[in-house]
Amino acid sequence: MASVQISNVKKSYGAVEIMHGVDVPIGDGEFVILVGPSGCGKSTLLRMIAGLEVVTSGDISIDGKRVNDLEPKDRDIAMVFQNYALYPQMTVAQNMGFALEIAGRPKAEIKAEVEKAAEILSLTPLLARKPAQLSGGQRQRVAMGRAIVRNPKVFLFDEPLSNLDAKLRVKMRAEIKALHQRLGSTIVYVTHDQIEAMTMADKIVVMNAGRVEQIGTPLELYDRPANLFVATFMGSPAMNILPAKVTADGISIAGVATVPMPAGLSASGEVSYGLRPDHVTIGGQDAVSADVLVVEPTGSETHITATLGGHEIMIVSRDRVDIAPGSKLPVSLASEHAHLFDAVSGRRL
Amino acid sequence: MSLLSQAFRPVGSNRVDPMLVALWLALVVLALVWITPFIFIVFTALKSSDAVMNTSAFALPTEPDFGNFVSAWQRGNFSTTAFNGVIITFIKVPLGLFISAMAAYALAKVPMRFSKVFLALCVFGTMLPFQVMLAPIFKQVNAFGLINTYPGIILPYLAFGVPYQVFILHGFFAAVPKELSEAARIDGASHFTIFRRIFLPVSLPVLSALLILDFVATWNEFAMALVILQDPKMWTLPLGLMNFQSQFQSNYGELNAAIIMTVLPAAIVYLMFQRYFVAGLTTGAVKE
Repeated sequence: MASVQISNVKKSYGAVEIMHGVDVPIGDGEFVILVGPSGCGKSTLLRMIAGLEVVTSGDISIDGKRVNDLEPKDRDIAMVFQNYALYPQMTVAQNMGFALEIAGRPKAEIKAEVEKAAEILSLTPLLARKPAQLSGGQRQRVAMGRAIVRNPKVFLFDEPLSNLDAKLRVKMRAEIKALHQRLGSTIVYVTHDQIEAMTMADKIVVMNAGRVEQIGTPLELYDRPANLFVATFMGSPAMNILPAKVTADGISIAGVATVPMPAGLSASGEVSYGLRPDHVTIGGQDAVSADVLVVEPTGSETHITATLGGHEIMIVSRDRVDIAPGSKLPVSLASEHAHLFDAVSGRRL
Repeated sequence: MSLLSQAFRPVGSNRVDPMLVALWLALVVLALVWITPFIFIVFTALKSSDAVMNTSAFALPTEPDFGNFVSAWQRGNFSTTAFNGVIITFIKVPLGLFISAMAAYALAKVPMRFSKVFLALCVFGTMLPFQVMLAPIFKQVNAFGLINTYPGIILPYLAFGVPYQVFILHGFFAAVPKELSEAARIDGASHFTIFRRIFLPVSLPVLSALLILDFVATWNEFAMALVILQDPKMWTLPLGLMNFQSQFQSNYGELNAAIIMTVLPAAIVYLMFQRYFVAGLTTGAVKE
């Protein structure tokens, strides 16, 4: 177990800079998730920690030791890949014991370590099989077992659940989280799935276009997004953003209504008014009429897409709403949960 | 339904498919074209000189005569030529494959400058027909004093065999997901360990296919051997066959017995590895 320090790390391919000075502190035993859209640089950052990509400038330290120039094998890390990268001609046991074998450990010790890891991951009956004889979820567990056997300082996961079906993904999510709680190890985990990030992480790093947008606990990011990007990226369905203007009476949402300024906020001029779909209430005293476009019942809640003053909004209701597309729905946007962002810079106000 | 009538029907259908009939017909005709000379060779090898001259070429040998094989073995000096063939083939083929595989791995998986230039050079090497190079090669080998020696023939064989194999293996190695070697690097494996423990086992089907092709080509090679191996003591099997034809006499029984003995080892190697051969040619063609 160890801490990882990423300080002002930049990455260029030729003349093109794709990472523009990233700082991420990762504490001992922390489960940190790097999340962001495709091409934001999260996988590249993970690969730089692993030593599979060269750091153009800046420092990466593991346990206080600068590792920029160390080979992957000398960094004491283990990595789980999206496509598992299991050695096809080796059995599960050989796959898991490969690193120890290369390190020249005695056979008895390798066997004991492999069996211990197999026990943790319920892989014991599969030890003699080859990867081709395993299901996706089992392969995923073998890839994790290969990492565990090495007992590394830091575990790196590169979108490990992306190739699994939805049901298995939820199961493996819980398994990885349980594994972290059991081993107490430092984990850096990359995903583009913000649900995965919200449910598993101690700390989330939201990245966009080679920059860190915000670092915080899942609920910090959800409740107090630092800017419009984080506000719309975290949370599903995404936050509604409506153009508005601060006036003497409150916040005038263009073409809709004027709502009171949420308590504790102050702003002036042009702003973006952000409201999570579950904070849009149906009915209420100052309700305005929205045109329903699509109704999606999920069972536990109802998702309604509607237009309001020319803006498309999403409403999530915990109740079953019996309404047909094309009809009118009274909704209220006034909420103490509203977020205000600067209309120009996108920063939280 | 008989096996024959099944062959003309698509799986699960009762109707005879004219396309399948045509394909089978083409297959039979093609097989006949290839089998006919083979039958001629086997039948003739088993006939005495009289029988060769007095019966039709495709008449069954009524009194099979294995004497041709014994006399061909002696006249063709087979104990020497077979020994030379074994030495040259058994050194050249594995060595060439090993060098090609290492070069292909380096070009495909080790990040380095100019790797594309090296690959282009290799591809260029496959475009040169070695017949046009015979004279310069002879001069070169002669300059090294290697005429009539094993290295004198093995080195040019390697030079002409390796580029083609590098080209094929490079394509195969490049298609192996990069995460496989990255995982091994993180596990602490050196490039040579990655090559030996991961890439060689993964590429066994392709290596087997190349081994067959190279074995047959080297075993049967004639032109370069003729130029470089001039001492009959250094001859290989195809050169030994020259003993059976001269301006004034031809013993067809002996000649064909010698041909059978020459091609038999190559045919056996092919039959042993053909399972991998077919797999190797189609590996990577479709997602598994």
